[in-house]
Amino acid sequence: MHNAPKPNIEDLPTPAQLRRSTIIAGIGAVAIGLMVYLPAEYGTDPIGVGSILGLTEMGEIKTQLAEEAEADRLLDLEAAGGDQSSSLLNDIFGLFVGAAHAQDVEVWRDETSFTLAPGDTAEWKLVMTEGQTAQYRVSVEGGRINFDLHGHGGGQSVTYERGRGSTGDEGEIVAAFDGEHGWFWRNRDSQAATVTVQVRGEYSETIQTN
Amino acid sequence: MTSGYWGLRALASRRAIALTLAVLALYASSVAQVLAHNVTEGDAGYIQEIWGVHIIPFIYLGAKHMVTGYDHILFLLGVVFFLYRMKDVAIYVSIFAFGHSVTMLAGVWFGWGINAYIIDAIIGLSVVYKALDNLGVYQRWFGFQPDTKAATLIFGLFHGTGLATKILEYEIAEDGLLANLLAFNVGVEVGQLLALFVILIVMGYWRRSPKFMTQATYANIIMALLGVLLTYQQIAGFIAST
Repeated sequence: MHNAPKPNIEDLPTPAQLRRSTIIAGIGAVAIGLMVYLPAEYGTDPIGVGSILGLTEMGEIKTQLAEEAEADRLLDLEAAGGDQSSSLLNDIFGLFVGAAHAQDVEVWRDETSFTLAPGDTAEWKLVMTEGQTAQYRVSVEGGRINFDLHGHGGGQSVTYERGRGSTGDEGEIVAAFDGEHGWFWRNRDSQAATVTVQVRGEYSETIQTN
Repeated sequence: MTSGYWGLRALASRRAIALTLAVLALYASSVAQVLAHNVTEGDAGYIQEIWGVHIIPFIYLGAKHMVTGYDHILFLLGVVFFLYRMKDVAIYVSIFAFGHSVTMLAGVWFGWGINAYIIDAIIGLSVVYKALDNLGVYQRWFGFQPDTKAATLIFGLFHGTGLATKILEYEIAEDGLLANLLAFNVGVEVGQLLALFVILIVMGYWRRSPKFMTQATYANIIMALLGVLLTYQQIAGFIAST
């Protein structure tokens, strides 16, 4: 027993209609696969429609993110088995440097500036020990920028802040553990962007990692 | 859908209902996940890299969400299972679309932070409800047939709340939010129509078979069990998350 009676056979679509629908569905599936799915998921655009629709960019970004995640996994594996001897040195070094620069809060201690073409990336980090605090100011000109303010070291990693379409930012980094703490930038805008970063506070050195 | 279905894999290892579960588990593992070192991959990763109005990409994402969202598809299958006149199909699917659009848009716009496990458990129950409804269980138990249109609307509202919860997890940029959200909603409907097209072809062949009514009983029992399974996973996930 159901809540509906048996359908009359003459009310149903005929086999010919069903065959036609199946053929349409098949053609539709192939078309969607080539024009939408492949561009949007893998960034491959066999007949050029995906780029017109703006879907190829999606696939390219996804592929890129997947590669970066894979690279990070490998890096984390290495780090887990790698050396941590430099952290003590960093501690001592950081103590001296941190103390020496604690007074001059008005001036920026380090500054870097670079221009990123669309799609380009940059990374800049501060070597800090746990609990150290550094101030920063980021300004962006000519375009807008995506950033990921994070830290890693000794097999640990943390995200402090992420943003997209940023035109500048200022704030403070409090190191969650010994390691390198700083930014990964990517220009997802359609024009070149110049990023200027100023930092001060407690850290031993700055490193450019790209 | 990031971590919502993790309980699926634990269950799958029990080989209880091997084939169905394997298919569902495949779905679960293909869903984007947040990984170590905090690179967000997949659809969420893409969304978190962009800002501004992106109409077609969001239509695509909405359609993809619907087509790969087996809980929505199962409910849709339940709704149209015994509807073979195109007019009825159109009415019920429109009611469902209206229901889930309302709560999806409002949910994201007002930021209703409803627990994803709870809402997905209710969506699982909606599948159970509809399967039992198709089996005519309510007429036997209660002596009357609950309004099927009202049920479709009410469960549509819950499905929309579930969609809103997933969209909030995507963290769409404020810049272009409304346009992108509307595009996502259009995509959900496009995805629903694509799924419906395939469902109706399969049902069209099936209904012509003389064994259809007998097999329909088994099909709806299986559907009810799948709904129970979905609900169970969400409740287990909720308990594990608290």
